[in-house]
Amino acid sequence: MGNGRGSLEGPEAAALKELRRARRQRFVEQIDVMELLYRVYVGAIFGAIGLGVVAGLVNEAPATPDAVEWLRAEGPALLGLAVAVLVLAGLRSGARGGPLAIEAAEVQYVLLAPVDRGAALRPAAWRQLRVAALAGGVLGAVVGNFVFRRLPGSPVEWIGGLALFGALVPVTVLAAALVASGRRMRPAVATSVGLLLVAWTGVDVALGSTTAPGTMLGEVATLPLQHGTEVALAAAGVALVLALLAIGLLGVGGILLEAARRRASLVAELRFSAAVQDVRAVVLLRRQLSSERPRSRPWLRLPSGRTAHPVWRRGWQSFLRWPRARIARALLIAAVAGALTAGAWSGATLAFFVPGLLLFVLALDFVEPLAQEADHPTRRQLLPVAAGSLAARHLAAPSVAIAAMIIVAALGAVAVGGSTETALGVGALACLPLALVLAGCAAFSATTDPYAYLFTPEIGYAVAWGPPLIASFIVGMPLLGAREAEREGLSAISAFAGGAFTIGIVGLAVLYVLSHRLSRRDAVAA
Amino acid sequence: MNDPAPTLRARELSREYEGFVALDSFSLEAGAGELIALVGPNGAGKTTFLNLAAGLLEPTRGEVETGGFPAGSIEARRAVSYLPDTPVFYEDLSVAEHLDYVAGLHGVDQPGPLIDSLLGRLGLGDRGESLPAELSHGMRQKASIALAFVRPFGVLLADEPFDGLDPPSRAVLFELLAEHRAAGAAVVVSTHRPDVIAAASRCVGVRDGRLAYDGAPTEDAVAEFFEGSEPVS
Repeated sequence: MGNGRGSLEGPEAAALKELRRARRQRFVEQIDVMELLYRVYVGAIFGAIGLGVVAGLVNEAPATPDAVEWLRAEGPALLGLAVAVLVLAGLRSGARGGPLAIEAAEVQYVLLAPVDRGAALRPAAWRQLRVAALAGGVLGAVVGNFVFRRLPGSPVEWIGGLALFGALVPVTVLAAALVASGRRMRPAVATSVGLLLVAWTGVDVALGSTTAPGTMLGEVATLPLQHGTEVALAAAGVALVLALLAIGLLGVGGILLEAARRRASLVAELRFSAAVQDVRAVVLLRRQLSSERPRSRPWLRLPSGRTAHPVWRRGWQSFLRWPRARIARALLIAAVAGALTAGAWSGATLAFFVPGLLLFVLALDFVEPLAQEADHPTRRQLLPVAAGSLAARHLAAPSVAIAAMIIVAALGAVAVGGSTETALGVGALACLPLALVLAGCAAFSATTDPYAYLFTPEIGYAVAWGPPLIASFIVGMPLLGAREAEREGLSAISAFAGGAFTIGIVGLAVLYVLSHRLSRRDAVAA
Repeated sequence: MNDPAPTLRARELSREYEGFVALDSFSLEAGAGELIALVGPNGAGKTTFLNLAAGLLEPTRGEVETGGFPAGSIEARRAVSYLPDTPVFYEDLSVAEHLDYVAGLHGVDQPGPLIDSLLGRLGLGDRGESLPAELSHGMRQKASIALAFVRPFGVLLADEPFDGLDPPSRAVLFELLAEHRAAGAAVVVSTHRPDVIAAASRCVGVRDGRLAYDGAPTEDAVAEFFEGSEPVS
């Protein structure tokens, strides 16, 4: 219903074109082109210098022949698995009306007008695809800049190949979402199709074959190492992406208006929240966008009674109502963090600083109970408990749960070939102190008032970016130290033990700052 | 002014939201020239029905069509004008630009005089160049009304359009409705206002998503409906 072809000729088309031209012109009038060009110019120069300096500092040793062969044979399927998981996310987003974010007025006046919805929506889809492909391509090229130093092949081959792969991945995900939304796929169907793709790619991982579309795309990422059939399969992967894109763009007009309207308001709020660096609002709006609600029936009902502290109990009640998708996401993020750590351990040093960021994102979900206390300060102030003490108690359950996720990360490292003894040893030593830091950093971000620093934006940036950066370094540095110790013939676990103590101290410091902040906020309110 | 396909027909229309039944086997027909006052308590299903009829929502069961065309189809979109309860605007277009754009999308040739006339009648004559953010709540509502009337239609679906209007603008809206009814348009207005109900040719009551009253818009009947009558069989 509502997907019929209408005219996009004559006065209707002229009105649409005229509006777009006028809005584009108005937008251009509002920006200072020279200022923008100058910013791009300065950003490009500093970016290039920064990349060169970092690449020089890292000074990676060339990979061993065994490592190169492993990457050539296993890399495409593993990368394909990651792509398949992203496509699953894209399909699910499409089933809920993504990926287009159309203005509410566009739904009301254009999509309800007798015009071809496909023709009206395709420019927005193209715009989104262009931006995603460009961002992915740049990221791929940056990664290629580091990769060519360790692997056989020319810089041009690696930078070009990974830029292409980087551009194709977001295009694939967006195309999958466009197909799901345009064809009005039900969420259950979209999830099933996505899981089927993941399972298919999983079979490739297990058998070392290249049959799944994701694996074919993975061949593009390792193109300088491939030859013969693999190159043809990589080309087939690119062709499949283009076919998917064509199907998605052709059917874009089938979008459900109900979902489009809902997304319109949420995406507008999400953009504003991201612009003012309101992490809490971004988390809540993202959940609304993905229709992620707590389960009405918990996975396990905690026995009644007063044996446990109410705040501890409340934390676990929250986790026990997590929807399946959130649990799967948490486990996946933890496993990917572990796999990246294993990759960093084997030589890709810069990757040491990514797991901390991933675990920080994961921790944002775990500090939900404390974040809700910050959302409703009046309710909190009515409690006969000091704010600092309440904050500390609220971090107990998240810390234990995040510690369990760090063990999952250790298992993820083992799964991709990391040493079982080292991974589990470091994981066991790190889990509690790291979990405390991560929970503290996430709680700090979730309870930050984004409008407190409107007139001092520099402080605002520091407050917004401090917690994720602390998380990145507090996870990355001790692991880097442990790896260096192992390279010098010492025990990595013993070396990490000292780091674990430091992490614990940082965790207590973060907890103190957080408690102090909430106490001060309550004192000001009183 | 008004195009063909002036009739709205809903048959056994149902809409559920994850187990919650917002509209349940609701049937309604609106003929040319009719003004139907859609009444009912908050949450009864009035807005859900209007959204379904406009093609903004998909029914769980049943069907709704305009002039024989399913809601949301190109033909139905050409015939149905929807006036939402909350005005929706592009933040970077002036009121006049909005009207020009919507008129253009519906194939109105030379809409200038119509735009001027609507703005003038609704008291927005000097607000044509204003951006939505520069308008008061009432002015936004008037601009939204102008947008509903700047294009041809056979069926007008209006969700509480009189709310937030000053008395002169209410009178203008009554005039506009009367003119379009006289030209053959069917109008369905969701409302709580007695003066709108009194002006209607028919009153349809909704309660708990079901048709609870369909008859004359007499004061007694409506009062009885709000006091609580059983759904009609």
